[in-house]
Amino acid sequence: MAAKKKRTPHAQSDSWVVVAADSVIDAQKLDSDPAFVRLRNPSTDAASLYMLGAGDAQLYEVKAFEEDFRSWFVGQTVQRDGRLLFVTPMDPLFLILPYLIKAGKEGKFQPVDQIVMDEEFPVCSRLLSCTCSLASLHHIAEEKEAGSLKFHRYSQEKTMNWLKKKVERTVDALKKKNIYVGEGVKSTTFVRVKSESEYHEEDYLRYAHGLISEYISEELSKALLKHLQLPELTSPKETEPPSKKRKLSDKAVEAGEDYTKFNSADFARKPPKKMTAAQKTLAKVDKTGMKSMSSFFSPKVKTEKK
Amino acid sequence: MGRRRRSSCGAKHTELQNVSSSSVMDLGPFETDNSVSCRLASQIPDVCKTEDCCLGIDEAGRGPVLGPMVYGICFCPVSKKKELKDSKVADSKTLSEAERENLFQKLDEARSYVGWALQILSPNTISTSMLQRTKYNLNALSHDTAIGLVQYALDSGVQLKEVYVDTVGPADKYEAKLSQRFPGIEVTVRPKADSLFPIVSAASICAKVARDRVVKGWNFAEDMGEVDTDYGSGYPNDPKTKAWLLKHLDPVFGYPQFVRFSWSTAQTLMDSKAVTVHWDDDEEDGEKAAQRQHNKSMLSYFSASAGGNDQNPTHQTHRFLTERRLKSLCTL
Repeated sequence: MAAKKKRTPHAQSDSWVVVAADSVIDAQKLDSDPAFVRLRNPSTDAASLYMLGAGDAQLYEVKAFEEDFRSWFVGQTVQRDGRLLFVTPMDPLFLILPYLIKAGKEGKFQPVDQIVMDEEFPVCSRLLSCTCSLASLHHIAEEKEAGSLKFHRYSQEKTMNWLKKKVERTVDALKKKNIYVGEGVKSTTFVRVKSESEYHEEDYLRYAHGLISEYISEELSKALLKHLQLPELTSPKETEPPSKKRKLSDKAVEAGEDYTKFNSADFARKPPKKMTAAQKTLAKVDKTGMKSMSSFFSPKVKTEKK
Repeated sequence: MGRRRRSSCGAKHTELQNVSSSSVMDLGPFETDNSVSCRLASQIPDVCKTEDCCLGIDEAGRGPVLGPMVYGICFCPVSKKKELKDSKVADSKTLSEAERENLFQKLDEARSYVGWALQILSPNTISTSMLQRTKYNLNALSHDTAIGLVQYALDSGVQLKEVYVDTVGPADKYEAKLSQRFPGIEVTVRPKADSLFPIVSAASICAKVARDRVVKGWNFAEDMGEVDTDYGSGYPNDPKTKAWLLKHLDPVFGYPQFVRFSWSTAQTLMDSKAVTVHWDDDEEDGEKAAQRQHNKSMLSYFSASAGGNDQNPTHQTHRFLTERRLKSLCTL
């Protein structure tokens, strides 16, 4: 990976700061330039940005690191948008898969160039140019050859095995990269007391499954969970710390507080802790010598005395 | 030898940066990097290491929006107080620049029993202290600088018995703070101490002379092309200073480090004339923050659609990505 500061000579909004794999710009042999393309995101079913390498040889996904309060200084200019784009290699099968599944419902063997078609995203046919696309289709589809022609049909079984392998390889990568898979958020700089071995294999599997699910439909994600023999998490029991210990006593359960007071007339709601801007400015007003509003409604004790 | 003659000869000296007296106050260490705080000091007179001494503290350049704030200490044996008084050091504010230079010269001539030390707090130091996340206000900065200088004198072997300080903030509180910090030393904090105690006057002269010289010969670290050096007194109410601030405002960077960014004068001008910059510790009211684009409420991170631009509301981005603030894009 090499950091590339890409800047077009046009307006500022046309420039991005990108971290890209070296292979993206390694285009000596091929005549076409790498290009950003919009393709159907298999997980959300909506458009997402991808990149096709030179000669459509390799697919890359584009992810943006985006946080508030960030800007770039690029050369002698300031770029308001502080995003950092990552262009990372991606398996094109993930994007081809939804089309195969759709076509597979018809149950027929079809040529892939007829399967991978999308009116909304015509670019998708270029996915088949990727060097590994056709060669790896057998991971997710059954193949039939008739003369020089090849026909494919989606196979759920093969796909599940392929996805399982992906999950396993992700687990390996997670372990190798020391990625924290336990509950809650932890800083990467945080020194862990627990050694990695103490995390359950299931934690890793679940985490990796979640990551792979970013690239497949929800339906497929659920099927994969079953295939991995991971029970679906129905209650948040496992991810939340145990709540207060239950009291063990023989006494009858009674309310710890008198809740009826909330029904009485003198119960007034406490003002919200967070004040609006207007309230804040009002609170700052010098109130010395001012009567409180309630004083106008209280019985006039003093005047009666005199 | 009347004062008049001396002051007239001092006036000549102020014309030049490298007058003979500058050898006794070498500003070189500060001028090589005027973005940080810097200490300058005289030789410690031997007599100060053996006899009980008094020490005065004063500052110069507290109010200006331009240039450094200089803290000065001056010390001499208690037995020499009379001599110091006779040299007619007076509150630096009542003196002309020439008279101050002249008096500083006299202090230098008395170097056998008078010592001094200065802490030059660069405008950049002041800006960054006051504007950092945990705000460090000017009074705290002043107090700590004063304490640092007294400690320096003690560390150098000066037999301190009495310390006189012009007040910063409430006098009694400051006095208690210093007394506690330096047990065994009699601390006197008084408003207008610079006109009451000659040793404080001497300190004020040292501080003021250093500030004047630094401001006059300010080395701009920034490439500003032709810099207009006619910035007046540097006080916010000086029309020359205001004009200079207006002229040298950069829409992106604001000001050179010569300007104290924490001064409301500078801030108001930047707010109105420069590009708006948002920081994550900006205090903003809810509505204002919401108006600003790209701003997300804290709650959005906990809600179901943490993915941000995802059209599919049921889709929840995996925490590997959300924890790393990574998201898919649909357009560039």
